[in-house]
Amino acid sequence: MPKLSRSAQLDQAIQALLSYTDSVPPVKSSLAPLVRIAADLCDLPREEFKARLKSDLERKASMATPAVTPFREGFHSLTPYLIVEGAAKLIDFLKQAFGAEEKFRVPKPDGRIMHAEVRVGGSVIELADANAQYPPRPTNLHLYVPDADSVYQRALAAGATSTHEPVDQPYGDREASIRDPGGNNWYIATHKAAGPGQFTPEGLRAVTIYLHPKGTPQLIDFLKRAFNAEEDARYESPEGAIMHARIRIGDSIIEMSEAHGPYVPRPTGIHLYVPDADAAYRQALAAGATSLTEPNDAPYGDRAAAVQDPHGNSWFLATYVRDVPLPG
Amino acid sequence: MARGQPRSEAREEIFAEQLLIEAAQRDPRRFAELYEQNFDRVYAFISRRVRNREEAEDLTSEVFHQALANLPRFEWRGVPFVAWLLRMAANAIVDRWHSTSKEQVDPRHDAEDKAALAEVEQRASLFQLVESLPPDQRLVIIQRFVEQRSTREIAAELGRSEGAIKQLQFRAIENLRARLGGAHA
Repeated sequence: MPKLSRSAQLDQAIQALLSYTDSVPPVKSSLAPLVRIAADLCDLPREEFKARLKSDLERKASMATPAVTPFREGFHSLTPYLIVEGAAKLIDFLKQAFGAEEKFRVPKPDGRIMHAEVRVGGSVIELADANAQYPPRPTNLHLYVPDADSVYQRALAAGATSTHEPVDQPYGDREASIRDPGGNNWYIATHKAAGPGQFTPEGLRAVTIYLHPKGTPQLIDFLKRAFNAEEDARYESPEGAIMHARIRIGDSIIEMSEAHGPYVPRPTGIHLYVPDADAAYRQALAAGATSLTEPNDAPYGDRAAAVQDPHGNSWFLATYVRDVPLPG
Repeated sequence: MARGQPRSEAREEIFAEQLLIEAAQRDPRRFAELYEQNFDRVYAFISRRVRNREEAEDLTSEVFHQALANLPRFEWRGVPFVAWLLRMAANAIVDRWHSTSKEQVDPRHDAEDKAALAEVEQRASLFQLVESLPPDQRLVIIQRFVEQRSTREIAAELGRSEGAIKQLQFRAIENLRARLGGAHA
């Protein structure tokens, strides 16, 4: 019997694979990897099927009404607005420590930053240098990362001060905390109780605002009346103090616990996208907020207003109206 | 960098995907991009477990229609979108087995299993690499494996010898092996 060429031997094996016979003829070991590839190629999808399914899905998607969303792309309902002395230095820190990506900055003639946006994980953080109207307001932020220990070390190397070394918390988080060069506190955590490959608890994104108010129940009540907030979770001490609460506003969560010990109230700047900034402004005033800025058409494309809640937090209310090209 | 932490490029890819998911949640027309990115993976996962082209297509179609319908409720928790799709695929396969009373190995563990996910990535890469073959090699691979035609039939249609078609087929598969970077070696 004539000796078969390598290409003929391979074809014989392929024929057996395509016939779904269990007996693929033995081949030289040098051909074995090619036979394994051929076995996978038996499942190669039909191009016509892929194209037809795509057009079916596109037809179905075009019939669905796009959700009316009041956000600029990349934003969610809640975004922390950090007001600090040394915004440029803080941006450098966020890049080095947390791998932040700078989206853009609007400098003033004196080099200070009027407004900047960075992205950390899937979350946006806005920041600006303090001025007479808005003095520095250090804030607390909860950051979820794949490996809290290494991010904690990177933060220290980038100039942060440690306030709490990494420890395993009873609620399933590996958690540390640091203070950044702008004075903001960061709780750096990895949610160990999440499934494989996950590091964020359900409902939270990379960055979440964390408040320590005096009178947490009153603040929660205000948020319900002003912004239609809902309680996602509440844990109380035996004495009835709120140890931890998760409050949902729109598609985002804000966390809080009653001020105690070193955890003092730190009024925070919060950018809140709402379906109707004018209506939200009126509702917030009716709930007990004071006006900082009346609703106006902002040059960056949002309908915007600002109020202060009874606990001193500033809420920058906005509704996305149109896209305006951003600098940078 | 600590062991087990995704590389920074991988993380960037995941976050870019998150942006795309959010865009598709707002405007379902953007779902087509998620489909393009994940079709080969979902098909690779399903076809490995059903061994019948019609059933694989049926289930793939079911998974993507279900994904489009459920996208508004998808919550991003730091895992790639494909993991969500593969869980849906595994459930769809199990449902199909229940309706036909087939006894098989439960694929729901595979949708979480690292080795099974690596295999999905490898098979999806292979499917995509077929696109990059020289046109004559690509044609032979599609006729042979998708249309399931014999080398004799392909030779007759293309007006070439059967030996030449077997050679083209051989070179195409060698090419794919080289482009896979030894993953199949």
